[in-house]
Amino acid sequence: MNQPALRILLAVYIAIFIAFLYGPFLVMGIISFQQGPEGGPQFPIIEWSTFWYKHVLGLAPPTRVAPLPIGEALTRSLTLAFATMVVATVLGTLTAQAFRTQFKGSGFVFYLVVLGMMVPGVLLGLGMSLVANQLGVQRTWWGTAFVLHVVYTFPFAFLVMLAIFNRFDQRVEEAAWALGVTPMRTFRKVTFPIIFPGVLSAMLFAFTLSYDEFPRTLFTGGPDVTMPIAIYGTFSVEIHPNLFAFGVLTTLFSFTLLTIYGVLMTASIRRSQAKASGIQEDIE
Amino acid sequence: MMELEGLTKFYGETCALRGVSLTIEDDEYLTLLGPSGSGKSTLLRLIAGLEQPDSGSIRLNGEDIASLPPHRRGLGIVQQNYALFPHMTVFENVAFGLRWREENPVTEEAEITKRVDAMLDLVGLSGFENRGVGQISGGQKQRVSLARTLVTEPRVCLLDEPLGALDANLRERMTLELRRIRDTLGVTFMHVTGNEHEALGMGDRMIVLDGGAAVMIAPPEQVFDRPQTVRVAQVLNAYNILQGRVHEGRFDHAGSMLPLPPNSEGAMHYAIRFDAATLVPPDDPTALIRATFITSEFTGGGVTYFLRGPDGVFEVERHLSRADPQVYKGGQELGISWAATDALAFDSDGELIVSSNMRGAA
Repeated sequence: MNQPALRILLAVYIAIFIAFLYGPFLVMGIISFQQGPEGGPQFPIIEWSTFWYKHVLGLAPPTRVAPLPIGEALTRSLTLAFATMVVATVLGTLTAQAFRTQFKGSGFVFYLVVLGMMVPGVLLGLGMSLVANQLGVQRTWWGTAFVLHVVYTFPFAFLVMLAIFNRFDQRVEEAAWALGVTPMRTFRKVTFPIIFPGVLSAMLFAFTLSYDEFPRTLFTGGPDVTMPIAIYGTFSVEIHPNLFAFGVLTTLFSFTLLTIYGVLMTASIRRSQAKASGIQEDIE
Repeated sequence: MMELEGLTKFYGETCALRGVSLTIEDDEYLTLLGPSGSGKSTLLRLIAGLEQPDSGSIRLNGEDIASLPPHRRGLGIVQQNYALFPHMTVFENVAFGLRWREENPVTEEAEITKRVDAMLDLVGLSGFENRGVGQISGGQKQRVSLARTLVTEPRVCLLDEPLGALDANLRERMTLELRRIRDTLGVTFMHVTGNEHEALGMGDRMIVLDGGAAVMIAPPEQVFDRPQTVRVAQVLNAYNILQGRVHEGRFDHAGSMLPLPPNSEGAMHYAIRFDAATLVPPDDPTALIRATFITSEFTGGGVTYFLRGPDGVFEVERHLSRADPQVYKGGQELGISWAATDALAFDSDGELIVSSNMRGAA
């Protein structure tokens, strides 16, 4: 195939790719500015307005469209995501640390851990709710659902940390031990600062996965719902553009998180670059 | 004083060390020479406590330290790739041990600064305190690594191929530096290397490790002049080693009858140093064997000639301070001659046959 034809083909391919990737978000963004409260999720836009944003934030006058039940659900989701992030990252880091030495049955344990992200969420959620019923445990977002969120995000944090430790030069730790420093303090003063960018990535993974987790939470979250369940609850009845306004707002929130992550990451990398250009050089 | 006794280490089925016993005196420079795979790094890691021996003991001033974790042994190790802490400055790297060690940490900032500065001064890195470890050269990293270990005043300082990553020029300078630093501090250095020049030039005593066993422990002059076994001679990379057997008082090597040192009836191996042999015309009466010239290599102070002998490659070194280089053509026939007194003979076990008129250490 000649060059120009190939170029055009690739350009078209990329255009389609981008359209599919950003199309839904674009539509959501446009419809969120629909006129309210009469306007629905349809084209063309009757009149541009920010009514639905006001509606989401509770600033609009009361109408027949019920306000989104987001206040408490959002707090719950953020709390749950934060707790999941902390626990999954700590567990993931410690487990990956254990996998640095070959121990008996390490292969089996590896699959055991990774199973948490392989098993379909619906099955896991259903299973957990059955177990909770059998044991007479109340299903709550901070109990049963939290456990499943950790089971689900822990493998991701673990795999991220495993990759980080794979590139980690163990001789740096050995050097610290030989200087008379205990393994515990060596981990705090040497290992952790070096693997910190990886820890940040693991945290981001765990947080975002937990924040919009649906199937596991649906079965195990109990009566107090999290954000994704609350949203699902509203559009199973009737869809109004306030959902789209909310979608835009949460996306912006996610972007903010990513930006914070990016800033922290750049700062961390710049710090280590200032001290050691090319984090660990191999001089063999 | 550190005593190693019968240190043995297996990795699965492979034996990395077989019963190494050794006494390390206080205030000495010990070099350990071995080809790669001889177990030299394993020995160092066992002593430092980074690996556990399968059997054997390590005693430091009478105390058995073999079961202690690395941070309780009071030994320093300078690693091959320096293993500097990438997230710290030069100063913080050196201060790390003093500041955070379990036993007897230095808490006073002024004291830390004083000792780190003194150590950086000793290794010639004053003024580099605030540099990151990525902003300094290989030789400087080497010095930081050394300073970081020495500032904690280890009882023995283990160096794992410390000069391996440096270029030749720097290597020579660091050789002198290492000796000077050691003399100043009076710490025992155990320097592991695969480079025979380093091992010969730096050690007060030298250990030759081969196949996981210490095959010779002696001062470098003695190791070089009278290698105890034919393997030691091979590791030194300074001997042509010929195989054959004794026939009517001469050594029959592929038909060439070579003169033997006295009393070497059972000789099976015959060694002649590269620089003890000279090239002569093929019909010269002193020629002991005939060989075909392959190529030569100019080494600055001398030339190394490579020839194909009756059985394998033969190397001849010629120092240019003694004579101008000779130019030969590839494929040219030449004779090689040497003095019978320069030859070493080894018996069927590879042990050196010590003759009565053996020359003393040169």
